[in-house]
Amino acid sequence: MILRKYSSFIITLAIFAVLLLIGLLRPTMWQPVALIMFYIAMGQAFNIFLGMTGYVNFGYVAFLAIGSYGMALGISRFYHTGIGLWLIPLGFTLAALMAGLLSVLVGGIALRLRGAYFAIATIGVNEGLKYLIEGAKFWGGSEGIIISKPMRVTFGRHLANSLSTFWADIFLFAIAVLAAYLTFRFMHSRVGYALTAVREDEDAAKVMGVNATKYKLIAFIVSSCVAGLIGATTWCLKSTYVFPEDVFEVSYTVEAIVIVMLGGSGTLLGPIIGGLIYGICKYWLAVLLPGLQLLILAPLIIVIIVAFPGGIVGVIREKTRGTAFDQVIV
Amino acid sequence: MQFLGMLSGNLLNGIILGAVYGLMTMGLSLIFGVLKVVNVGHGAFIMVGAYVAYWMFTLFGLAPILSVPIGLILGMALGFLFFYLVMKRLLDAPELSTLLATFAIGIFLEEIAKVIWGPDFRGYSWNVGSLHLPIATIPMAKIYALMSSIAIAIGLYLWFKKTRAGTALRCLVEDKEGARVCGINVTGFYALSFALGLGFTVLSGVLLTLFIPVGISPYMGGIYTLKAFVIAVLGGLASPWGAFFGGFIFGLVENGSYSLLGLIPNVEPFSLTQFVAFMVLLVILLLKPEGLLGEK
Amino acid sequence: MKGKLLKTVLTVAVVFVVALTLSTATEAKLPKKVIIGGTISLSGKFAKEGQQSVWGVKAVEKWVNTVHGGVKINGKSIPVMYKYYDDESKKETVTSLCERLITSDRVKFILAPYSSGLTLAGAPVVDKHGVLYMSHGGASDRIFDQGYSYVVQTLSPASKYQTAPLDMIHKLDPSAKKIAFLFEDGEFSRAVARGAAAHAKKLGFEVVFNRTYPKAAKDLTPVLTELKAARADVLIGGGHFADGQLLAKQLGDMAIDFKAVSILVAPTLPGFYKALGTMAESFMAPGQWGIGAKYSPQSAKSLGLPYFGPTQQVFMDYFLKESNGVNPDYHGAEAAAAFLAYVYAIEKANSLNPDDVRDTMNKLHFMTFFGEWQIDPETGKQVAHDMVVLQWQGKKLQIIWPPAAQTSKPFYPMLTTKQRAAGKLAIPK
Repeated sequence: MILRKYSSFIITLAIFAVLLLIGLLRPTMWQPVALIMFYIAMGQAFNIFLGMTGYVNFGYVAFLAIGSYGMALGISRFYHTGIGLWLIPLGFTLAALMAGLLSVLVGGIALRLRGAYFAIATIGVNEGLKYLIEGAKFWGGSEGIIISKPMRVTFGRHLANSLSTFWADIFLFAIAVLAAYLTFRFMHSRVGYALTAVREDEDAAKVMGVNATKYKLIAFIVSSCVAGLIGATTWCLKSTYVFPEDVFEVSYTVEAIVIVMLGGSGTLLGPIIGGLIYGICKYWLAVLLPGLQLLILAPLIIVIIVAFPGGIVGVIREKTRGTAFDQVIV
Repeated sequence: MQFLGMLSGNLLNGIILGAVYGLMTMGLSLIFGVLKVVNVGHGAFIMVGAYVAYWMFTLFGLAPILSVPIGLILGMALGFLFFYLVMKRLLDAPELSTLLATFAIGIFLEEIAKVIWGPDFRGYSWNVGSLHLPIATIPMAKIYALMSSIAIAIGLYLWFKKTRAGTALRCLVEDKEGARVCGINVTGFYALSFALGLGFTVLSGVLLTLFIPVGISPYMGGIYTLKAFVIAVLGGLASPWGAFFGGFIFGLVENGSYSLLGLIPNVEPFSLTQFVAFMVLLVILLLKPEGLLGEK
Repeated sequence: MKGKLLKTVLTVAVVFVVALTLSTATEAKLPKKVIIGGTISLSGKFAKEGQQSVWGVKAVEKWVNTVHGGVKINGKSIPVMYKYYDDESKKETVTSLCERLITSDRVKFILAPYSSGLTLAGAPVVDKHGVLYMSHGGASDRIFDQGYSYVVQTLSPASKYQTAPLDMIHKLDPSAKKIAFLFEDGEFSRAVARGAAAHAKKLGFEVVFNRTYPKAAKDLTPVLTELKAARADVLIGGGHFADGQLLAKQLGDMAIDFKAVSILVAPTLPGFYKALGTMAESFMAPGQWGIGAKYSPQSAKSLGLPYFGPTQQVFMDYFLKESNGVNPDYHGAEAAAAFLAYVYAIEKANSLNPDDVRDTMNKLHFMTFFGEWQIDPETGKQVAHDMVVLQWQGKKLQIIWPPAAQTSKPFYPMLTTKQRAAGKLAIPK
């Protein structure tokens, strides 16, 4: 009984464990695995909102960016206080807080809107924040923040390298597990049921007394905080710099959408499978056919949207309807 | 006084640019108004128009103004193509699908452009003199762009009001089922609207190069997609005329706010101007989501 | 039921693991070749510069193997190979592919990706593995302030970009004191601006205008209106290709004239003249290099330096073959120079050990067709390479500064908008 309810979560953890093992046992695979996990995690955080509500947050990447800034500010502004390794949790806390704050501000306005209007409102968030940072010249303005030196001074060369090339990815694994857990809890809780009702028919749900805005906001905040944590680790900690012209690129939002659509939105396994496939394809396309990746991916996306709107998980569910699998693949 | 001089110069330029912005957004609003589809690949079609103007001028010496009908026809052809190939199958699909589909089409166009024409930045020089006013010097090419934009917008307005096809389209927007009952071929008109919308977008790309004839490259469209969304919301997402006027307002705000923001010390006024533009978007969505000129 | 489920899941998992593991069983077979490689942008925002870099490196790779006979170590000549992957101008891709090059392809001499940001992104990976990292497209001085020991630089740092035009104007016309700065608001341009401002102050210029414009600006009229009112003698600024073209065009539209204008990047491309026609005449730009630069075995000899690599003409020949007729710009040249620097340093160190090569690099001072090469031992920053100043004169891009490298005298003061619109050419007497 319990096994069935948790089965999709267990499968998720199993996949993560396998990836972790592959990376640890074959050092050459560590970075490719980390890249795949980045796509998976990014998709999961996006799915917490998209999957639950059916709304598209076109400003998604801004939350990854602000999380990145959180970590950068934590390290660069506080490293001389001598707290050493505590800088890392500080950075993550700042990342989550800042992302959360931004999501409350944006969500407060945008979530009163429906459908396409919401999407358009969120488009403005990304660009608006970037130009605000560059225009008002805070957080380094257009020159951004580089944390290589603070890291090397505080942690010494070897630990700093380790943090960027290994520990940052371990943190990412942890965040992915967190994201999976949150998705799972949402799906099987009051929040999830309310949001499913909203997604199916918002007006009817409202009539039934569901406070749509409150639940949408919860999903939005959680999704954004997780995204902030991802940005803090994979962008800031790993690459050791944050430049506004780099972190506010809308192409990441697009990738998140593709990953979730590919795998199947609104499911636990969807983003995982989507991220896996997307990451592997991207890696190999970059190696084999440099320069042509997007040319191949774009029509592929169209085919998926037209023929398989439920994503891969949707296809599998169709095929396994009525069998034992039905309950497992969620 | 010098400040006022500069401000008025900026505002004048803003109005001219605004006309082109407005025309550029009409296609977007038309497609949303009729099909309820947000064309996220909008910028890619503007890019196509820009290249049309560039190649017609560079290869055949054709004045960019005359490339306008070519742009319209090409855009409509692409519109019909993509409608029957992709969009038709998604008419009943959730919003997310059409958003992604238009986006993928946009990316596809950009990548094809890159493969065929290379990632280089291209430009051309169409020298037809300038208009010298006390507050500003304005190249005639920009004046032509302004006049053409207004003429085309009026043309579209008349088409909607006076022709049978235009009237049928308006009926379609009001009441889909009612229109079908009246014998209107709904799918056919959807295709026409999509084609017209894209046609206008490509056409606006041609006119845009009259204003900014350099920096033409496969990825140039992205920034215009964002601006177009702001303008579309300003004018009322489903209203092409609203979009046209929204363009003027946007041009004025964009250029005018620079002078005002320039008074604040220790900031970068130009970057802040862009921030202001997006804040305007959020404010309007908050207070009057149907747009300054739309009806609920 | 449960058993079947478990079995299926396990099978899928096993298949998966095997697939992933096999995918890196393709490890490169080695030391018959010396591999120098890196990630480079063949798609995304740096596609153009990346493409030039690849052509440049491939050109000299051929030269090293066919004419030079490969890299000479311990009396043996080993062929060199250039291996590259498309990083799509994205930092996550840089880190993952960089590590692939180091661990799977066993590359010890990495060419950094294009742009300062991406160069920074690959640095931790490189540092962890203790391999060398040559920056050929990352000019930001900040890269070299972070304390990395394996990062070295072949091109001039950002702070040096606009100092050469300032030197030149100061020499030609000491009375031109009023200077306006108008740069793109971006990390690189700001680094250039900072270097330029400091140098201008040293030379006694008076800054009457200092503004930036956002990267994606499509219409500069608001800030140009202000610029016109400032009545400066000289304009220094710019950013990258598109905005530089736009700036030049709109200066002409608004009839704003200066005695000299030096814009980053854009005027160094043939596309600049194609787009602007005679309106482009007499615009200047700093460049890491230009076709016709007089760096040659003879000039090296006169400076008492060793010369390595093909002559400029030979490089051009190889490059044109790789690019199918596209001329090299300085992105291609700087990448080629980076590759040559590696080969030279390896030969001088007589070793394939990165630490040995890094130590040897500290002692090297030589010249290639790209210019001089010498690094600061502690930071790895490039100190000997000079920027040149290029100017459009009579439909051709000439090198006008420094005098030792020039192919033509400077045309100063610049032609006015009116003169350029009338088709006058900027040919010095």
